[in-house]
Amino acid sequence: MTEGHLHEEIDRHAHTNPLSKSSPFTKLFFVLSALVICVSLPSPIVPLAVLSVSAVLILFMARIPISFFVKMLSYPTAMLGLSCIIIALFFGDGEALAEVPLPWFTWTIFKNGVTTGIATFIRVEGALSCLFFLVLTTPMTNIFVALRRIRIPAVLVEVSLLIYRYIFVFIEITEKMTTAQELRFGNSSWLTKIRSIGLISGNLFIRTMEQGERTLTAMNARGYDGTIRMLEDLPKPSKAALVATVLFDSILLLVSIYSKDLLVV
Amino acid sequence: MHIMEGFLPHPWWELWFAVSIPVVLYGIYRLNRMSKTTPEAKPLLALMGAFIFVLSALKLPSVTGSCSHPTGAGLSAVVIGPAITSVLSLIVLIFQALLLAHGGLTTLGANVFSMGIAGPVVAYAIWAVAKRARIPSSIGIFLAASLGDLFTYVTTSAQLALFLPNPTFFEALIKFGTIFAVTQIPLAIGEGILAVILFDFLAKYKMELLSTLKVIRVPVTVPAKEGGK
Repeated sequence: MTEGHLHEEIDRHAHTNPLSKSSPFTKLFFVLSALVICVSLPSPIVPLAVLSVSAVLILFMARIPISFFVKMLSYPTAMLGLSCIIIALFFGDGEALAEVPLPWFTWTIFKNGVTTGIATFIRVEGALSCLFFLVLTTPMTNIFVALRRIRIPAVLVEVSLLIYRYIFVFIEITEKMTTAQELRFGNSSWLTKIRSIGLISGNLFIRTMEQGERTLTAMNARGYDGTIRMLEDLPKPSKAALVATVLFDSILLLVSIYSKDLLVV
Repeated sequence: MHIMEGFLPHPWWELWFAVSIPVVLYGIYRLNRMSKTTPEAKPLLALMGAFIFVLSALKLPSVTGSCSHPTGAGLSAVVIGPAITSVLSLIVLIFQALLLAHGGLTTLGANVFSMGIAGPVVAYAIWAVAKRARIPSSIGIFLAASLGDLFTYVTTSAQLALFLPNPTFFEALIKFGTIFAVTQIPLAIGEGILAVILFDFLAKYKMELLSTLKVIRVPVTVPAKEGGK
């Protein structure tokens, strides 16, 4: 389960990095504003600026090892690269950049297809690194607290917390069942393997649900009334960070006004 | 189906938020009501959420700025209704963006629309028709889950084609649709089979809960009259 391991590593960094104790509001404010600017403005300079600032924050402020940051970025970048090459080579209209005569049709590469491909690549890299800053520096529990502070309906936070818990119950139970089946030669042949997978998927469902029902009974017994109370000892948002974010956003806006024609789509 | 963070530029990302938000708000209203009238359904809700999370994290890469995977939202739509499923999908997609860096925050609107609204609505409609037509529940569930999954990918293709409508929207739609279809048709069939297995398990062990939620009708067993013949 590579996903699971990646997730564990992300979670470990989110809890242990030097920025994990800082206010989630400042981080959310920076990330959301930068994301919106990054995807809304046509300038290619803006995502590059967001990418470099996020990388500096991730590597030097949060002290995430560069190898891990590169590892996280490499998989989406590879997929994105392929997608953008496809966009550049097969999409577009208007002015042609090159025409390749093939036996059955003429393959035309369009100028605006290529610019769209490049612009998309840069934009996604900027947005991704910005998202990674949030992912790598902020523990999920802090995000829950922040959501509750901004008056998200209580039922939404409650269901989110339950789903969050269940995801881990799912993973735990799957691991236990897989081990048990391994020990009893459950994966010894192709047929038994299919049967094992069927058994796991059916039982996993019921087991997880029953585990959840027991948790809910235990919570009800302790006076649960629909609100899960959490210790909300969040630090105050740092004024300096907020001011710096506003400054950074305004610079981005200014830059984009002067560089909007660099990659005309 | 998760469109990558930042892949959709202005105005597309705002548009999909605008389309999804009203549905999600209605879903929150329904969720609130359900958590008051049938609080015993909460574990089932969370289970459906976790199920969607796990299934839609099993991704195969795709060269469309997106990816291919089962969604699990079809089964959820049948069991708890499409409105609440849209809320669960929103939560799951936020978790995937924040925990696995899979999908994104600016593409949340588009992803919620395809996985949490379009697919589940189709799945629910198919299930409703199948129930009305008295088609066996396993066939109904299979069709609902697999066609709902496929429709999610048709929607994603349309979203991508709207963003890159060249040479025309329809040609782009067919290009994206063909790329997805290669991996998605077998995945949708797999998801349909899995949904049938899981629905049978649920119907067997959680019959009362499902009948409270009006998913299935439990045959009423009349207790034998005392002193009868």
